[in-house]
Amino acid sequence: MSTPFLRRIAAAAMVVALSIASMLVARGARRPFSPQAPEYRRKGPRDAKVLIVEFSDFECPACRHAEKPLKDLLALYDGKVRFVFKHFPLRMHERARPASIAAECAGRQGRFWEYHDRLYERQEEWTNPKMDSVLLSYAATLKLDMDSWQACRKDPAAAREIEADLQDGGNAWVGSTPTFFIDGKRFVGAKQLAERGTTFVEKELKK
Amino acid sequence: MTNRQKVALAARLIVGAVLIYAGASKAAGPVEEFAYVISAYDILPKDFVLPAAALMPWIELLVGWALLLGVQTRLAAAASGALFAAFLTTVGGTLLKGIALPNCGCFGDAVHLSPAQAFAMDLVLAGLCWYAYRESENPASLDSWVEAGYNSARGQEANPRR
Repeated sequence: MSTPFLRRIAAAAMVVALSIASMLVARGARRPFSPQAPEYRRKGPRDAKVLIVEFSDFECPACRHAEKPLKDLLALYDGKVRFVFKHFPLRMHERARPASIAAECAGRQGRFWEYHDRLYERQEEWTNPKMDSVLLSYAATLKLDMDSWQACRKDPAAAREIEADLQDGGNAWVGSTPTFFIDGKRFVGAKQLAERGTTFVEKELKK
Repeated sequence: MTNRQKVALAARLIVGAVLIYAGASKAAGPVEEFAYVISAYDILPKDFVLPAAALMPWIELLVGWALLLGVQTRLAAAASGALFAAFLTTVGGTLLKGIALPNCGCFGDAVHLSPAQAFAMDLVLAGLCWYAYRESENPASLDSWVEAGYNSARGQEANPRR
């Protein structure tokens, strides 16, 4: 075999090898995440065969749109899947974090899901400068103990819960909301969940 | 090395480095994340979105390293030019349609650029690709090392040892 031909092969091999190495190094940056969350942010039986984890942002319109396919999926597999909600307020949504804390504090009084639903259903009502009074009115409508709810909102422990979820989302390389993990398999956005979620849950249940 | 070759080398290195960074950033994230961004552009049939998301980082890495090392420089510069032309069309379409994308998806989750910023960046990089294509012959490339192999082989043929 001639030297020029070998040189050409060596140059091409170098390009391929460096591309593979770059891919491996980049993928090595991924870390595992914890699906843990307080009990009030969980739904479904503890021993369910399938675990669905959602990273969501209350201010994100895409997360609101994902509520319908998600609820359809959970209703379809009621009793067979476990669902965990994790906060992932995006930096660009300045009202998402206070909303997460408000929902978290409602959760401590056992009303997380009611508050969660209200935040999504009325997203346009509170994503404006009047947010604080609107969040307060939701708490009052749900008949929360207002003193302890207000105290909880100022409690650094509530903020730490959000931080922990953000850390988990960072480890899982969550870049967009909503991101769902069904037994570890990722589905980003309502479209992916609606198009492929059911088939995947079926497959997991048959295992 | 002439001044033109120095500029072409700089152009090649810049475009190559950007493509490698873009490919590696996308590869670091999950394929579904990039598929989500592609589907937001609304340009591909849904069955092609995931394969395209899986393939794109590989194309960027291969073309990027080929440019950086100067392997098949002319072809790599043409391929990267075609890539940036495709990006310009896609991002330009988004701007014209008024689709509000918070992130162009160019660098996965590493750097967030708005479609307008991405369009400006792609325009500059497409210009650099054109220059690297025009001035593809460069001593600082593996192509010239391969070429030197041919030259020495030709020399041996012309002056065979007795």
